[in-house]
Amino acid sequence: MSQPRKVLLLIGSPRGERSNSHVIGKFLVDKLEEKGLFSEEAFVTRLVNTREGTEKLLKSVDNADIIVLATPLYVDSFPSQTIKALELIHEHRKAVLPTKSQMLVAIMNSGFPEKEQMDIALKIIRNFAQASNFKWGGGIRVGWGMALNSEPLNEKKGMTRKLTSGLSLAAVNLSTGQPMSEKAEDLASSLFVPLFLAKTMTRLFANRDWNKQAKENNAEAKMRDRPYEINQ
Amino acid sequence: MKTVIFNGAKEGDMTIKAIEKTIADQLIKKRWEVESIELRTMQIAACLGCFGCWVKTPGTCVINDDGRETTRKAIQSDLLVWLTPVTFGGYSSELKKALDRIIPILLPYFQSYHGQIHHRMRYKKYPKLLIIGVQEPNVDYEETFVALAERNSLNLRPPAYAVSVFQRDKDPKMIPAFVEELLKKVEVIS
Repeated sequence: MSQPRKVLLLIGSPRGERSNSHVIGKFLVDKLEEKGLFSEEAFVTRLVNTREGTEKLLKSVDNADIIVLATPLYVDSFPSQTIKALELIHEHRKAVLPTKSQMLVAIMNSGFPEKEQMDIALKIIRNFAQASNFKWGGGIRVGWGMALNSEPLNEKKGMTRKLTSGLSLAAVNLSTGQPMSEKAEDLASSLFVPLFLAKTMTRLFANRDWNKQAKENNAEAKMRDRPYEINQ
Repeated sequence: MKTVIFNGAKEGDMTIKAIEKTIADQLIKKRWEVESIELRTMQIAACLGCFGCWVKTPGTCVINDDGRETTRKAIQSDLLVWLTPVTFGGYSSELKKALDRIIPILLPYFQSYHGQIHHRMRYKKYPKLLIIGVQEPNVDYEETFVALAERNSLNLRPPAYAVSVFQRDKDPKMIPAFVEELLKKVEVIS
């Protein structure tokens, strides 16, 4: 692949700018901008349901040299509208063969601490890349997303140091037209605490946080309701 | 006993239609009640990722559309069937729009299950799960599809589940035997 000039950040999260998908993807794209690439952002949930939006999405994909798909894990895969975007892009590329080499990079994130929970979803994106004539640029799996809290990533913060180091390294690789290295993938996919600790903290603190959120909505007493149970 | 079929096919998918009809025929013979839902005709908005179904209206999605009904029907069934074209090894967007909306059948709380963190169960009883993908010729995504179904079964914990892929270029006459074997696997026929 020749020197890339344009990168498209494709956000798969329905939460848009308030999502971890956006903050992680934006960090990588900002690093690529520092290396001279032009960037564009697209939010699939705002595009895939209209003809105009779909045309805009497909045009943005056609124009990009690197597409960074940043998406959350939903029911072991990714949100329905992200799948819809992949279906549309695939059909488009069957009808209009790509005129240049393009690379697809995937960034998955999940609330579960184990990155392995995202392996199948990442495999599906990789299958899509192959079927749709994209060069595979690598995949990052960011577990324990609640620790990020959708705040902009900070290179100096201990909690995000591995992730930001991995993304910075990935930007170096991608800016020269190369897929991200295994080192970049591994570093960006590493938790900042040992896995056993993340799992314990998830069970303790995340469960408390659900109750806190429910309390704020006056729903704490209903948390275990079974509205669709038969013979209540 | 009741079966609910989520049909995630695009319009005109005769193979998935034939599989759906065969499942219904075989179960009706055994006196099961069968309801097929063609998801592409339903008004099911995409999940907002807001967690309102867990912390605002626990157990019910905050979006008031057909997604609530499909979720209710799913949890109240004895056998839930998902039909989909195999889409890069996963599910179609039509099937997935309904699946993204069923998360209120789980609790938000986390627990360790099979060595990994998963959500706790909200209900006492869950339906058995049968997942069937129809795959185009010249691609082989079966391994990914089966692995995805296995992950879903870890999260939804059906009392029994089966998954299989049917090749679209196979003789449709093979569908009854294909379906019968799967219904035996989920122990709804013997």
